Amino acid sequence: MTDLPGRVSRRGFLMGSAASAAFATLMNPSFSHAQVELPPLEEYKPVFFDADEWRFIMAACDRLIPAEGEGPGALETRVPVFIDLQMTGSFGDASDWYMAGPHQPDASPLFGWQSPLTPAQIYRKAIPLFQEWCQTTHGKAFEALDAETRDSALTALQKGEVGLAPELRDFFSILLQNTKEGYFADPMYGGNYQLKAWTFIGFPGARGAYTEWVTRHNQTYPLPAVSISGERA
Amino acid sequence: MKSYLRILGALVCLGIIVLLAIIFVPPQLTKPSEQLAADWKPAPGQGEYAMRMADCAACHTAEGGKPFAGGRAIESPMGTIWATNITPDKETGIGNWSLDEFRAALVDGIAPGGEHLYPAMPYENYRNLSETDIRAMYDYFMNEVPAVNNAVEETALSFPFNQRWGIRLWNWVALGSSGFKPETDAIAKDRQLARGAYLVQGPGHCASCHSPRNLIMAEGGTSSQDDGFLSSGVIGGWAAPDLRGANAPAQTWSAADLKAYLTTGRNAHTAVAGEMALAVKDSLQYMTDEDADAMVAYLHHIAKGERLAAPSIPDQSLSAPRQLDQATDATSLKLAKGVGLSEGELLYMDNCAACHLTNGKGAAEVFPAMSDNSLVVADEKAGLIETILYGAEMPSTAKRPEKLKMPGFAERLSDKDVAALASFLRQGWGNTAGAVTEADVKAVRK
Repeated sequence: MTDLPGRVSRRGFLMGSAASAAFATLMNPSFSHAQVELPPLEEYKPVFFDADEWRFIMAACDRLIPAEGEGPGALETRVPVFIDLQMTGSFGDASDWYMAGPHQPDASPLFGWQSPLTPAQIYRKAIPLFQEWCQTTHGKAFEALDAETRDSALTALQKGEVGLAPELRDFFSILLQNTKEGYFADPMYGGNYQLKAWTFIGFPGARGAYTEWVTRHNQTYPLPAVSISGERA
Repeated sequence: MKSYLRILGALVCLGIIVLLAIIFVPPQLTKPSEQLAADWKPAPGQGEYAMRMADCAACHTAEGGKPFAGGRAIESPMGTIWATNITPDKETGIGNWSLDEFRAALVDGIAPGGEHLYPAMPYENYRNLSETDIRAMYDYFMNEVPAVNNAVEETALSFPFNQRWGIRLWNWVALGSSGFKPETDAIAKDRQLARGAYLVQGPGHCASCHSPRNLIMAEGGTSSQDDGFLSSGVIGGWAAPDLRGANAPAQTWSAADLKAYLTTGRNAHTAVAGEMALAVKDSLQYMTDEDADAMVAYLHHIAKGERLAAPSIPDQSLSAPRQLDQATDATSLKLAKGVGLSEGELLYMDNCAACHLTNGKGAAEVFPAMSDNSLVVADEKAGLIETILYGAEMPSTAKRPEKLKMPGFAERLSDKDVAALASFLRQGWGNTAGAVTEADVKAVRK
């Protein structure tokens, strides 16, 4: 078990990546003092999820964007923190969505959000049901399974083979969507820690203008990514 | 020994008598500089125009307050001076003032009853006001300004500045003769220059900020015959820049650029900020074309030495990338390349370059240029630091109504960041001003 929740293995960021040359520039230590240093992820106190839910979120994110392979994983970029914070905001409680119904939870997904539940309610109801399914099917809680079995469990969840009620149907798709969002959103929302996801894909961030680069083709952009609050990678 | 004591006693008595005389004998008031007919009436709008040129509103209208009802705090090295209500309200304003009393306040700094006004009231400059302007303003304030009953806070400076009789002594030393006389024959003979000189030295009271204060806090120069006149002053920690040096922006700019700056608050090089923004908003934008040209002609006439040319402005008809490609100076080239940047340069790229561009030239009438920008390179660093922390906004003027605004960066940048950024600005693009320290920033951050 090399990838316990919160214990992130250092991976070879620099290996074989096309961005490796640029990345070496970005890691110049003279820039790094501007970065925000937060306590380790395992010390984070969730504001929405309880301890059981949090173990699942950590383990699921870790499989959706795993630590192995290219680029930073979801845990290294603190994606679970992003999801936790979103649950208490206008996404979690769907406060800026039309939620008055009528709802038709079993309608085709092409009809958009049909569940009467908010995303936060779906997470709350679906996680224990999925955990139950893992216990029944694999004899262990999701986070206790090995990586391969976790992947197959998530695949079953994605394919609708777990037997969730129609109003919980979208659980996997919002989990995957929120994981991607947490990875690539500005760090002010809790994920994309130290702009690692942006740095990995070579996105320069919110610098405001890249005027002289408009006419420069096939040249490496040399400056580190910068966040909305001015944090620099 | 006895005779020594007697002499001492006599001197003390004499001193007391002189002091009592200073305190209690009413001062002589300045007579009108010109006799106008008793039934003289200003032309419609003349009084309001004279008031605009004298910029009474700058001090006597509080932020968000009724026009001329006073209550604005004027910070001085001696303490806070509260601008008074000058609406024609009989109880709390100047409704009971006679023309002679009104004139005395403007040219002698003396209120009815003989109380001396603090020289925050620029009577050092208003002494130059023509009798027609004084009469026109009196007519305007008495008949056109709505009376507002508003009792403003009494100015209460600490000892010794609360002894207003002391101002009488100050006046003896500080005040020149009253009534405007052009300082040279060349100016006197040229109608335009003479008008410009009158506007600058009299109602415009430019010297009250742009001339340095001497040892007794009097203006170090009230006409171009004085070397200190308009050679830079300090207001609220900001520099009121030199207007006369051969390389001062006011001199290197073309007449059209200087006129645009004064009347619209922006030109090809820069935009107005700080107290000067109020002068543009409340006063200078109302200048007639003729008066604006006269003011510009006079300011250029009193340059010290041959006026130098302003740094070139990029051809605004070119696309922005091409403008930037044309830069040849070391700072612009380094920023555009983006390699090996210092912390200050990186902060500029992260926070400033989107608008002010890597060539530091910004855009005409929108984003001020950084090189030779008097705010950027001023000895007094507070103006630059305050602008970085809290932003700036151009005044809305009739010809250029857009209140273009620079955001503040107080939330985004630490004191250390601001110091690194400001130091870079003061040394980039050929600027040679001194560095800014963290302590400088800390002193300005509210």
